[in-house]
Amino acid sequence: MRRNWLKLVYVAFIAGAFSLSACSGGGNKKKSGDIEIPDEIFGDDKPLMISQEAMGDIIDNISSPVEMAALLKSTGVPFSQKLLASTDRVDDLNTNFKQALNLGVYGCDLGYLNMYEKTGSVINNMTAIKSLANELRIGQFFDFNTIKRLATNNENLDSLMYISVSSFNNMDEYLRQTNRSNISSLIVTGMWVEGMYLATQVAKEAPNKEVVERIADQKLVLNDLILILKNYKADSNFDVLVKEIEKIKKEYEGVKITYEMGEPEAKEVDGMLIIVQNDKQHIDVSDETLNRIITSIEEVRHKIISM
Amino acid sequence: MKNVFKIFLTLIIGLHVGTSMAQSDDLVNVCALGIGNATYLKDYKVKLSASSVSPPSAKFNVILNKGTMYKITVCNAEGYAGQAVVELMENAAVLGTNLKADGSFVTAVGFQCQKTGMYSINISFKDGKEGAAVAILSYINM
Repeated sequence: MRRNWLKLVYVAFIAGAFSLSACSGGGNKKKSGDIEIPDEIFGDDKPLMISQEAMGDIIDNISSPVEMAALLKSTGVPFSQKLLASTDRVDDLNTNFKQALNLGVYGCDLGYLNMYEKTGSVINNMTAIKSLANELRIGQFFDFNTIKRLATNNENLDSLMYISVSSFNNMDEYLRQTNRSNISSLIVTGMWVEGMYLATQVAKEAPNKEVVERIADQKLVLNDLILILKNYKADSNFDVLVKEIEKIKKEYEGVKITYEMGEPEAKEVDGMLIIVQNDKQHIDVSDETLNRIITSIEEVRHKIISM
Repeated sequence: MKNVFKIFLTLIIGLHVGTSMAQSDDLVNVCALGIGNATYLKDYKVKLSASSVSPPSAKFNVILNKGTMYKITVCNAEGYAGQAVVELMENAAVLGTNLKADGSFVTAVGFQCQKTGMYSINISFKDGKEGAAVAILSYINM
């Protein structure tokens, strides 16, 4: 009887281990001798000012860089390779702090490349992303081969965009589940800074109204970004980063945002409910303020990509 | 022997959780294929148990940007009676929902955003039934 039970447990154990490793891609654990230790053990276990749940909520709030890239493309601004971060220094990024920030930068650039259908240039960018994601032990969520196939065959750009964005969403979800929101907050910060860099460089050359407004209304996001980074300021790297982002925030003091309220309207079109918001948002930003924001973003972005 | 039971139970639960996660990811993939002329931004997975007294719901906050047309597409998981009711909210005000007054559902909710700010997506199941669903947030390519 006892032998049968042991056999059953053994079979269940093998089945369970096989199933779970197949689901996770098998790369979620760090080896220490012969014992595999789950990622949670390596999570940031310092006390947080705000809960993990609230952290996740705030990180979720920060808009996708794809939206910024879409806005740039919709204004008719041509693609510019020179705006993208060089991938030559990936091997020099030797700490998780540097790796996570730059992973965010390259993630944003991937969205920009995909949006402009520059699929031929995607491979270098993806190789950098895969390398950094592996260093951070989240490479299993980045489907390199599928993205590469879609990019090189120039097939189904919607699928390419979906897999790229969902890969980052899955990395973020996993980091938060394993108490590594510190890494997640750095990736989001890198993405945000790079998205702002792309937008401000476009605005510098040709100040399109929609792009300038999108830059200006990021004032609303800055507080959230600083809040999540401050959570880890006991780490001197985070403390320095918070001070850099606060410099950007200071330049936003000249941005004035006012609202006019209106009643939303709803109508059904082809089975879909369309809600049209009738509130109005007025954004007032002087050229001088815009130029100071552009300069502050350039400085912070330069520090991140030359770490 | 008690320990053997505990190990066995843990493995079964582990297998179930692994399978559930894979199923919800499959549902996201299927749902993302059906968003039409829109670009995927985020997905929200929800699984709620039945309750007739106080139907549970899940709330997700998101910043939406001025000048963008968003679309929320909902897909219900097979094997559950519940049909997801999605509400797009600004503060406490419901801007729109996929549930029509006659009890039927629209295929998706579109939102022409004119004000950058914090919004929330609230998901519950009609009549408090048990359900599992995925909501995909995308923007419509204009």
